[in-house]
Amino acid sequence: MASIAITASLQRACSSPHLTKKKQLQPRSMRSLDTKQATHVVTMDVEGQKGSKIAEKLEKSALHIDGPKNAEDKLKSGTDAEPFVPKFKDERWKNGTWDLNMFVKSGKMDWDGVIVAEARRRKFLELYPEAATNQEPVLFRSSIIPWWAWLMRSHLPEAELLNGRAAMVGFFMAYFVDALTGLDVVGQTGNFICKVGLFVTVIGIILLRRTQDFDNLRKLADEATFYDKQWQASWQDHNASTSALEKERRKA
Amino acid sequence: MTTQTQHHLHSLLSSLHTTLKTPKPSSKPHSLTITSTSKNPSLSGRKLRAAVIGGGPAGSSAAETLAAAGIETFLFERSPSSSKPCGGAIPLCMLHEFSIPLHLIDRRVTHMKIVSPSNLTVDFGKTLKPHEFIAMLRREVLDSFLRSRAEASGASLISALVTHLEIPSSPTSPYVVHYTMNNSRRALAVDVVIGADGANSRVAKSINAGNYACAIAFQERIKLPDDKMAYYENLAEMYVGNDVSPDFYAWVFPKCDHVAVGTGTVCSKHDIKLYQRAIRERVSDKIKGGKVIKVEAHPIPEHPRPIRVRGRVALVGDAAGYVTKCSGEGIYFAAKSGKMCGEAIVRASEGGDRMINEDDLRREYLREWDAKYISTFRFLDLLQRVFYGNNAAREALVELCGDEYVQRMTFESYLYKRLAEGNRWEDAKMVLNTIGSLVRCQIVGREMEVLTV
Repeated sequence: MASIAITASLQRACSSPHLTKKKQLQPRSMRSLDTKQATHVVTMDVEGQKGSKIAEKLEKSALHIDGPKNAEDKLKSGTDAEPFVPKFKDERWKNGTWDLNMFVKSGKMDWDGVIVAEARRRKFLELYPEAATNQEPVLFRSSIIPWWAWLMRSHLPEAELLNGRAAMVGFFMAYFVDALTGLDVVGQTGNFICKVGLFVTVIGIILLRRTQDFDNLRKLADEATFYDKQWQASWQDHNASTSALEKERRKA
Repeated sequence: MTTQTQHHLHSLLSSLHTTLKTPKPSSKPHSLTITSTSKNPSLSGRKLRAAVIGGGPAGSSAAETLAAAGIETFLFERSPSSSKPCGGAIPLCMLHEFSIPLHLIDRRVTHMKIVSPSNLTVDFGKTLKPHEFIAMLRREVLDSFLRSRAEASGASLISALVTHLEIPSSPTSPYVVHYTMNNSRRALAVDVVIGADGANSRVAKSINAGNYACAIAFQERIKLPDDKMAYYENLAEMYVGNDVSPDFYAWVFPKCDHVAVGTGTVCSKHDIKLYQRAIRERVSDKIKGGKVIKVEAHPIPEHPRPIRVRGRVALVGDAAGYVTKCSGEGIYFAAKSGKMCGEAIVRASEGGDRMINEDDLRREYLREWDAKYISTFRFLDLLQRVFYGNNAAREALVELCGDEYVQRMTFESYLYKRLAEGNRWEDAKMVLNTIGSLVRCQIVGREMEVLTV
C-alpha cells in the first residue's frame, strides 16, 4: 500500500521538474527500504530522459535523509501547505527605499530608471501582495523625483502630439475663415469672435484627445451628479405630490 | 469608521458654489395661508403619539428628544442585547453633544496608520492634542445607555419585532404599528412614526421609500496574544489596495480586548471572503497567534433612500441612508438625525399639542438636515470617487496623508464635524500637492500597465 502510494506521488512529482519540495517530502515519510525499490520502479516508467535524471537525484536525496538542513526546512514549508508567495527582490531596493546611487548612468542621475523601477515594484506588489511589517517599512516617496523628470517621461510625447494637432487645425481654420469672410490672419487676430473660436478650439483639443475621451467625460459628468440626484430625490417626490394635490383641489 | 480626509477642502469648493442647492418646498400661490403653524389642528386634550421603530443610536436619540418635550413616545427594539457588527468609532463632538459618559469608552485611539498597496505606511495623528482622540466603544454598551436614557426621559420601551406599518387614508387618522411580542400579535395606533430600524428597514418598505445600493462590511474579531495587542493599544490601521477591497478600505480596529479585522465592498460582494483573506495576509505578521472569536457582516447603505419622508413617517439614521462615503461613518449621523427629527416634530407640533403633516417634517427636519450636512456627504463622495478608484489613486492618497496640514484638517473636520479653520496659503499648497501626487501616481500607473513582471 505504501509503495503504491509512493509510486503514484513520485510519478506525479517527476513529471513536473520544479517541485523539489514535494519530492523530498515523500522520502521523509517512508524510511523503509521500500522507498529505494519504489524509485527504481518509477525510473523505468517515467517518460523522457529528464524524468529519469530527476528520479536519480531523488534516490540520492532519499539516501541523505538525515543529512542537510535544507531538506528539513523545505519539508516544514511543504507541510504547512501554503502557497509560496514570492517576495519583491531587487538589488537596488534597500531598507525600504531605492538606493539612488545605483541609478547613476554615465555620471548623471537616471530618474527614468527610478520611475520604471518603482513601477515594477508596485506592479509586483499588486500581483503578489505582501504583508505590511513594522520591521521593514517602506520609506520611498515618489516626491523625491524632480518634476521635470516626470514631465519628460510622460507629457512631452503627448504635448508634441497636441501641439501638432492644434497647429494643423489652426492653419486650416485660418484659411477657411479667410476664404469665407475675407479677413486675413492679421485681421482675424483682431476680431473678437475669431479669438473666442480659437480659445474654444484649443480647449477642445486638450479635452477631447481621443474619441473615447468624449464618452469618458460624459460618464464622469453622470457620475458626478448621480450622488446629488439621490439626495434631491426626496424633494422631487414632494414637488410631484404637491402638484398632484393641487390638481385634485382644483378639480374638487 | 475612521477619519475623513481633506474634509475641509469643501470650504474652497463651497465658495465656488454661490448658492447651495437647498431645495425649497413649492409655494402655493393661491392659498390664503399666513405662515404660522396654526394651520395644524389642535389635539384636544391629548398629546401627540409617536412611535420610534428601532432602538439604536438614531431611535434612542429621537425617542429621548420627543419624550423630553412631553410627547407620548413608544420605542420599539427587537433585540436589546445583541451586539451590532460595527466599527464602533465615534467622534469627539458626539461625546459632547450627546453627553456620553467617559467610562463607556473602551479605548481612545490617538494614532492611525494608513497603508498603501505598495505598503507605504503613513502615521496619522501627530497633530492631535492631548485631549483629542477617537473613542472606540462597544455598540451594545452605547446602545443600551442611550436606550435607558430615552426611557428615563419618559419613552416607553417595547421589546418587540415590528412586522409592518398600516398607512392611514386621511391626514388625521392614526398609523397602526403591528408588532409581535412574546409570540402574540399586537397593534398600536400612533400619529407620527420615525423609522430608525437600520439598513433593512421595514418602515421604509411600508411607505415604499425605494431601495438603495448597499455595501457589505465583513469583519472578524480576533483575540491576540498580549504582546501583539500592545501594538494596537491606541492604534487603528487602514489598508487600501485592490487586493483588500476594490472600492473601499480594509481596517484593523482595536476593541475592548480584541481587534476587529475587516473589509468592505459595494461592487464585488461575492468576493468578500477573498478580500478578507487578503487583509488577513496583509496583517499576518501583526496578528500572528490570534484566534478568531467571531465573524460578522452587515450591509451599509451607500446613499440616501429616494424617499425619506412620506406622510407623517420620517426615516433617520441607516434607514435613511445617512452613511458617509469614503469613511463609512454612520453612528454620529444616525444619532444626530434622530435628534434633529425629534426636535422637528416637537417644533411643528408645538410641544405635542398639535397634529403635524408631511410639509412640517420636510420643512423642519429634511431641509435642516440637508442644509447642514449635504455638502459634507457630497465632498466625501467626491473623495471616494477620486481616491478609491484604482491603486494609483490610492498611492496618491497615502502620499498626501503624510502632510501635516492634511492630517490636522482631517482630524479637526472628523472630530468636530465642522469646517476646520484653514490657512489659505496652506490650502493652495495642499491643492497643488494633491494634483502633483495624483499626476505622479497616474504616470507610474501607466508605466505599470505596460510592464510585465
